[in-house]
Amino acid sequence: MSNPFTLNGGTVLSMKGKNCVVILCDTRLGSQYETVSTSFPKIFKMNPRVFFGLAGLASDVITLHHKLRFHVNLFQLKQERSMPPHVFSKLVSTTLYEKRFGSFFAQPIIAGLHDDGSPFISSMDSIGATTEPEDFVVAGTGADYVTGACEKYWEKDMEPRQLLKVADKCLQAGVNRDAFSGWGGVAYLITPEGVEKFDLKMRQD
Amino acid sequence: MAEPVKLGTTIMSVKYAGGVILGADTRTSAGSYVANRVSYKISKLSDRIYCCRSGSAADTRFLADVTKTNLSMHSSIIEEPPLVRTAARLMRHYTYAYREHLSAGLIVAGVDEIEGPKVFQLPSGGSAIEIPVAIGGSGSTFITAFVDANYRPDMNKAEALQFVIRAISHAMDRDGSSGGIIRTVVIPESEDEEVAEEWHKTVL
Amino acid sequence: MYTLEKKLLEEPKKTSFTYSERNAHLLASSKDLKKTFLKTGTTIVGMIFKDGVVLAADTRSTVDKIVADKNCEKLHFISENIYCAGAGVAADTEHITEMVSSRLSLHSLRSGEHPRVVSAMTMLKDHLFKHMGYLTAALILGGVDATGPHLYSVWPHGSVDCLPYLTMGSGSVAAMSFLEARYEDGLEEEAAIGLIGDAIEAGILNDLGSGSNVDIVVIKKDGTRMMRNVRKTGTISGDDE
Repeated sequence: MSNPFTLNGGTVLSMKGKNCVVILCDTRLGSQYETVSTSFPKIFKMNPRVFFGLAGLASDVITLHHKLRFHVNLFQLKQERSMPPHVFSKLVSTTLYEKRFGSFFAQPIIAGLHDDGSPFISSMDSIGATTEPEDFVVAGTGADYVTGACEKYWEKDMEPRQLLKVADKCLQAGVNRDAFSGWGGVAYLITPEGVEKFDLKMRQD
Repeated sequence: MAEPVKLGTTIMSVKYAGGVILGADTRTSAGSYVANRVSYKISKLSDRIYCCRSGSAADTRFLADVTKTNLSMHSSIIEEPPLVRTAARLMRHYTYAYREHLSAGLIVAGVDEIEGPKVFQLPSGGSAIEIPVAIGGSGSTFITAFVDANYRPDMNKAEALQFVIRAISHAMDRDGSSGGIIRTVVIPESEDEEVAEEWHKTVL
Repeated sequence: MYTLEKKLLEEPKKTSFTYSERNAHLLASSKDLKKTFLKTGTTIVGMIFKDGVVLAADTRSTVDKIVADKNCEKLHFISENIYCAGAGVAADTEHITEMVSSRLSLHSLRSGEHPRVVSAMTMLKDHLFKHMGYLTAALILGGVDATGPHLYSVWPHGSVDCLPYLTMGSGSVAAMSFLEARYEDGLEEEAAIGLIGDAIEAGILNDLGSGSNVDIVVIKKDGTRMMRNVRKTGTISGDDE
């Protein structure tokens, strides 16, 4: 069996804008070079202001999602408030580090808005080492290529529509060079006014 | 960086007429990098019992700490200073119990009121032998003949100290994993004399 | 409460080995999992000066040969008067220092005394020794407490060195060359900051695992001063990052 991180393929990306964030992913699920499904989204809505992208081994993506869903729901019930993005990020980090010597084969990214409307993004490796950069975060098989595109096209304080356009361009530029990602994509644009979902038009090869 | 920190070392301990002396170089290396050039490889176990450490720095520090703690508890129970024999036994117990996981070559030496000056060698594997002069570490191979030829049990303190310094100087000169300065601990048998922890330059 | 919920809540919060066997099986034919971990191929330095302790680090973090973060923080908060610079696997340095930080504050709350550097050092080395080198964290711990300034380096296997100046990480050799040449006892604060900055800069410029900016923290009896991005060595002027 090949590397579990690249077995199923998939790429996720999130970008910060002015009072907004966008999070995108491709929708392919493969088994090495064979495409099994073209409708496997890797982004999950944890609450109205926090979105969670997971790239890596599909079984771990699902397991980890359910595990975190449980804790987020419990937090909501106990505290009667939504879990803020930075708290969710910490929860993911500790959940991953709990399995330091037998890790999940998945790399998460987190995107959300704070109560004051300021954007939050973070990414982690498979054992929970967090980075919280001020521009963008990428994970998955096409991460290296997408990073290059983002590095060129990201700008400070982009407006929502422009942000979506740039992020879409960057994701597709990278994903189209990665054999294990593609076959459709989803994007969520998060602004203080609400969340918009987009299906991305993409190459089908 | 990935390599464990090792005390590629020269350590020794000798009995002289009136006490024991422990000696060691001060080089700590990680692979080919000198991580510390003034380290302490002689650890205190009780007022008049010390030990020399060679092998993994982490493992030997752990052994010394555990032995020190248990020796002091034992000493509190019997309400007397501990015997060197007891310290060596205790340390042997740990080196034997964890022999699969540890890399440690130790020398336990000191004086007590009942048996006088004593030196114990504890090679890796969990054994312990009582001998008048013990050498250990990677540098000891270079000075076996020197020690055999020059050691006398009737040396006085000054002679014995000079002997230790000369022996370690020779080892440090030939062994790449030994270096720095020479640290010594002199433990006299007489209660009136203080234990002396000193350092010396090499004499070659 | 539901049984499942109860079970999950009662799960002990410590390192679990549940997936170890599955992972060993999955990894049987793919060699290097460790390459996918975030590492801080780093230059970190610590130094005692006239009025206290100063620690410094670069700000690059890498996954294999990709720069994962261009401005990460490697100077970890332990307490108001103690900081810790970390090199190695980022998750390990991050979580170990965080654990020690919280345990130390509980300890000082219970004892009613200010935290001491030796306590932090003992917690770090005990934890690392317990894991037999499998936790990849090389740390420089520094601080000022009731007994004066202290500086320690803690190695992944759990050994400790106590010296007036220390370097660690992949750029440690480059940084040490500066300290060996210019360090002296009783340096003034400005001189110490200058020297430690030069030492990190040597790492940034000569070691590929280190890069970007210089972070410095100065700890004195009367307070701590954290200075992010004091020098932007690896950045072209005009560029934001």
